[in-house]
Amino acid sequence: MPLPIRIVAFLMLTLLSTAPANAAPPDAVDFARDVRPLLSKHCLQCHGPDAQARKGDLRLDDREPALLELPTGNRAIVPEHPADSELIDRITSDDDSRLMPPPKFAGRLTSAEVETLRRWIAQGAHYSKHWAYVKPVRVMPPAVSNPAWPANEIDQFILYRLDEEGITPSPVADRETLLRRVTLDLTGLPPTLEELRRFNADTSPDAYERVVDALLGKAAYGERWGAVWLDLARYGDSQGYIHDPPRTIWRWRDWLITALNNNLPYDQFTLEMLAGDLLPGATTDQRIATGFHRNTTNNTEGGSNVEEYRHASVVDRVNTTMQVWQGTTFGCAQCHSHKYDPFSQTEYYQVFAIFNATEDNNSEAPTLDVAHVGREEERVTRAARVAVAKARLDEQTKFTDSQSASWEQGVDRSKLAKEIVDILDLSADKRTKEQTDKLTAHHRTTSADLSARQAEFQSAQSELERVATTTLVMKEIPARPTHVAIRGEFQTKGDVVQPGVPAILNSVPSETKLDRLAFARWLVDPENPLTARVAVNRLWQELFGVGLVESAEEFGSQGSPPSHPELLDWLATEYIRLGWDTKQLLKKIVMSTTYWQSSRVTDELQTRDPQNRLLARGPRVRLPAETVRDQALAVAGLLSPKLYGPPVHPLQPKNGLSAAFGASTDWETSLGEDGHRRALYTRWRRNLPYASMITFDAPERSVCNLRRIRTNTPLQALVTMNDPVYVEAAQGLGRRILNEGGETVESRATHGFQLALSRSPSPDELKRLVSLFVLSRASLAREPAKAVALATKPLGPLPAQVDPVDAAAWTVVGNVLLNLDEFLAKR
Amino acid sequence: MFKANSLNHLAQVTRRHFLQDGSLGLGGLALASLLNDGANAGPVAEVPFAPRQPHATAKAKNVIFLSMSGGPSHLDLFDYKPELVKRTGEECPKSLTDGKPFAFTSGTPKLLGTPQKFQQFGNSGAWVSAAMPKVAEIADDLTFIKSLSTDQFNHGPAELLLLTGIPRTAGRPSIGSWVTYGLGSENRDLPGFIVFVSGGALPSSGKAGWGSGFLPSVYQGVQCRTGGDPVLYLSDPEGMDRALRRLSLDVINDLNRIQGAELGNPETATRIAQYEMAFRMQTAVPELMDISNEPLHLLEDYGAQPGAASFANNCLLARRLVEKGVRFVQLSDWGWDFHGTQAKEDIRENLVERCKLMDRPVAALIRDLKQRGLLDETLVVWMGEFGRTPFREGRTAGGAHLGRDHHPLSNTMFMAGGGLKPGMTYGATDELGFNVTENPVHVHDVQATILHLLGLDHLRLTYRFQGRDYRLTDVFGKVIEGIL
Repeated sequence: MPLPIRIVAFLMLTLLSTAPANAAPPDAVDFARDVRPLLSKHCLQCHGPDAQARKGDLRLDDREPALLELPTGNRAIVPEHPADSELIDRITSDDDSRLMPPPKFAGRLTSAEVETLRRWIAQGAHYSKHWAYVKPVRVMPPAVSNPAWPANEIDQFILYRLDEEGITPSPVADRETLLRRVTLDLTGLPPTLEELRRFNADTSPDAYERVVDALLGKAAYGERWGAVWLDLARYGDSQGYIHDPPRTIWRWRDWLITALNNNLPYDQFTLEMLAGDLLPGATTDQRIATGFHRNTTNNTEGGSNVEEYRHASVVDRVNTTMQVWQGTTFGCAQCHSHKYDPFSQTEYYQVFAIFNATEDNNSEAPTLDVAHVGREEERVTRAARVAVAKARLDEQTKFTDSQSASWEQGVDRSKLAKEIVDILDLSADKRTKEQTDKLTAHHRTTSADLSARQAEFQSAQSELERVATTTLVMKEIPARPTHVAIRGEFQTKGDVVQPGVPAILNSVPSETKLDRLAFARWLVDPENPLTARVAVNRLWQELFGVGLVESAEEFGSQGSPPSHPELLDWLATEYIRLGWDTKQLLKKIVMSTTYWQSSRVTDELQTRDPQNRLLARGPRVRLPAETVRDQALAVAGLLSPKLYGPPVHPLQPKNGLSAAFGASTDWETSLGEDGHRRALYTRWRRNLPYASMITFDAPERSVCNLRRIRTNTPLQALVTMNDPVYVEAAQGLGRRILNEGGETVESRATHGFQLALSRSPSPDELKRLVSLFVLSRASLAREPAKAVALATKPLGPLPAQVDPVDAAAWTVVGNVLLNLDEFLAKR
Repeated sequence: MFKANSLNHLAQVTRRHFLQDGSLGLGGLALASLLNDGANAGPVAEVPFAPRQPHATAKAKNVIFLSMSGGPSHLDLFDYKPELVKRTGEECPKSLTDGKPFAFTSGTPKLLGTPQKFQQFGNSGAWVSAAMPKVAEIADDLTFIKSLSTDQFNHGPAELLLLTGIPRTAGRPSIGSWVTYGLGSENRDLPGFIVFVSGGALPSSGKAGWGSGFLPSVYQGVQCRTGGDPVLYLSDPEGMDRALRRLSLDVINDLNRIQGAELGNPETATRIAQYEMAFRMQTAVPELMDISNEPLHLLEDYGAQPGAASFANNCLLARRLVEKGVRFVQLSDWGWDFHGTQAKEDIRENLVERCKLMDRPVAALIRDLKQRGLLDETLVVWMGEFGRTPFREGRTAGGAHLGRDHHPLSNTMFMAGGGLKPGMTYGATDELGFNVTENPVHVHDVQATILHLLGLDHLRLTYRFQGRDYRLTDVFGKVIEGIL
């Protein structure tokens, strides 16, 4: 068992180590590349930045303390003198009581590792800051072996590396594959056959570029990339914890979609989400944007300690911000100073202090009354109408006015509830407010005189509700005092700290009042070493399946090194140069030859680069959960193009259970097109997320998630074979095949195949589909009742003149097409 | 066993496991077979839950976790306190309650002795109340822990702590997914972690109680349902018979193979294997869920009825599942929150009534396992998320119904089988049952012990997420040596 693992580790190290650009002596040790990973792996847990955990007064993550005299009188590191350095003595000792790391921690350093450290000390024991904390440097794209290959700078970096490895890149993929790939990537939907025909017919040199521009301009773009942000934002339509009561914050999700579609520059996008409320003259949209950090969970269980959950929300905001924008596991410093990266616990609570100044308190409040997207004017008019109707109603129902008094006198008391009669028996001035209100309410609902005004009011109200909603927002209050929470426990208070940012990163001008807005500005300051890198890495990850830094959530010393460091930095600086224009950057990537390559892989390349980190071929990964579903609905002709609005309830089998202490966990299926909306509009209950999404690896969204792990399981097969959503899609696809596919079985099978896979079947593939249809049809013809069920449940009755047996057999074919590996993957 | 190139996908998530000696064996190996998207669709890819070697010799192979959601009153079931009975109605000493939070009680509550009759049973002389007559009969097979405590006094957090290791919904894996991550499953047609819910409601921790958190979703508990498909989407669409499904599957596989050969992508082979397992599950699961072929006397023992939705049925199903090699079976039974706010939450007759639905099947399950020789290799765990207070709940103190508040400071649980010392009682509380006085056990210790019995070291069963190695027991937990 150990052998293959070592082989894998060796392969990966070989793949990931990049030769330095300038030629150094062959035995030169590079601290960042060669030494830091060793220290991080073997030493820093006890000899790192965390003073609490430090042993023997020795700190090795920084040069100055590492060279100091130890309490023993020795020095761990004496530059240029490995023989005098206790570090070398200890890692090579035969005496278990002296050996480092201590034998109880598995893993003695290998002789190669010892040799590296020995040479490093001999060469002067030079340290350098971890690359992630140094501002990216833009380097010129290198010259490559085949100058005709690169379409842009990205390709030069990629090909340069392939040249070094002696690997030839793959040929460009065929047009159909490319169109499907880029359409899925940019919009989360497959191309239509019409789009495919148009692209195939367009021989002009900029045909592809125009397709890309068109895709970036579609509203579906914002929905596709919005889904990525819902994971980052841990978005949910419920509050979490035991009751998991509903939450109304979907208007934030709609803001997100419009912001992405409007291509709000990433720096502005950041400012609005983190601190839109603090922007001078903040607009309603900018305040809605702050819902990003109101997606934290609340515990409404009786007797909960409100402060505990408020504290947890602030912790979550700090961790999420540092994850999403800085790609660091800053959260480690919540309980103790970081063991590997230079973040102290005090620094953690300095950032905490910045977020510890909002009004929310384990509560949904504060919220904002807002309009649905684009309906603000109507909301204002309708709200005014409601106010008028309300006034008219109130005027008529005041129990001091004569009309009410006359109602009192004329009413038939024998028909009233005793409670109401009792109140009427009191003279008006003896009634409590509560009693008057009760009488008013009763009067309103029963009096014929009032019914017109009542109806008027109700209709105005429901008109308003069609364009109005509320949404959770951040609201600044004077900062609460922030203490270091010892061991991360909110009740164990240590020293008071003031707002601040981690010292290892860029600094803020000393006179700045460090609130959320200043903090957000600090994040998008071009001096910040991480923000742009982390953002471009995320885009890369979405397009290629793996980021240039594989550990998207950790760029620090425990993360994986970038596969193409110069490319990462070039993209980061390019993003800033483009004014944080996300669509432009995406365009640049999908316009690269790298992206255009065929994903076909040879055995040799598969063995050599199984993860496709070198990018000698195009991306080929299973589609995300949302796309799996949206694509099925799209090819079935069922997908609703409707944008925005309250969460919807697609088909889902009944569970028959209630939430603990709560209401039923089942929902009524949304009617009409709301039953077939894109996946990101599905109501997201944190305690019971939509089943098929989870099965396809969506996170439950209690905490921020930067990278979904793709699995391949039998439960996924059950979903796409049998989930009524997919059965319905198969029926829809079957009907389209019958309707649009010509008259022969061959032409129909071909049409279905093209709809699903955006390409024509090979003769071999066609033969199998045809025979599937013929055999299914023969079998179903013997049992017409089954055929009717298979063709209509749950999609509904067939159009007249359609033979149910035909429709059912095409449903079988549709079901097969929706389950092909090629359908579920981007290739 | 593994070819380097079969690890492509897994490398994506676990590279750092490989490079780190500490968690090497387990993290790497477990994922290797589960995330296999490899080129060689050999035996590994065919069996996604392939069994794996534990860290150490295991005493137990499987776990049946009986999660009594709501917090059953240990003081009325197992922890007998004659002194508390004597002092019923007296004020609870301030020294005990001061500075401690209770969910629904403030001020000075009144002590409340149990209204249940207690007796000692078996050679072990374990105290059990009259509400649990059948469990009392098997007292000599049980290992009681009377010194259990938790940190949380509310249902949601307490149950999350118990099942996921931390008291927050924070995307942490549940205990069952940790176990299947560590050990895989011995049945190639069934998931390794199966969950049943009874009592009409989801548990307080929601689906997080069997979620996979940051572990790959393949480790999530599969909830078997009592109505409709036993596993979500198990049935073929209406009108599609098995022959037609088989035919479709053959065409899916054929087309996938053509494509796989064309593009050379190894994941295609894995996909074919997963579809075949799904097909087998479609037959295996309903067969397993059908208890009508169980002998009548056994159905009678459990109080199970074919076709019914009950905890009793779930207990019988749990036995059938461990018999088939399913690693972790979790039964969540809602309805143990006896505050006394209404008649059905009264710890007198109504507690006895409620226990009838639980006592008999639990006892039958343990006897049944023992008779089949399965108890040695199966660990049965019975517990709620916290205990109940020795005093009357604040809101209902003057009411007609007797009830108790949530109590994190003391609780009783029992386990059976799995290599534990049977017929023993471990730990104790003070004379009022308020605080633990002897051999304290925290829920993290229970988690560590369950893993230990399965041959897993809770310190080494780790998974790297967001740059940190996480484990079920957070940074706590020690194995309860005294009951091994």
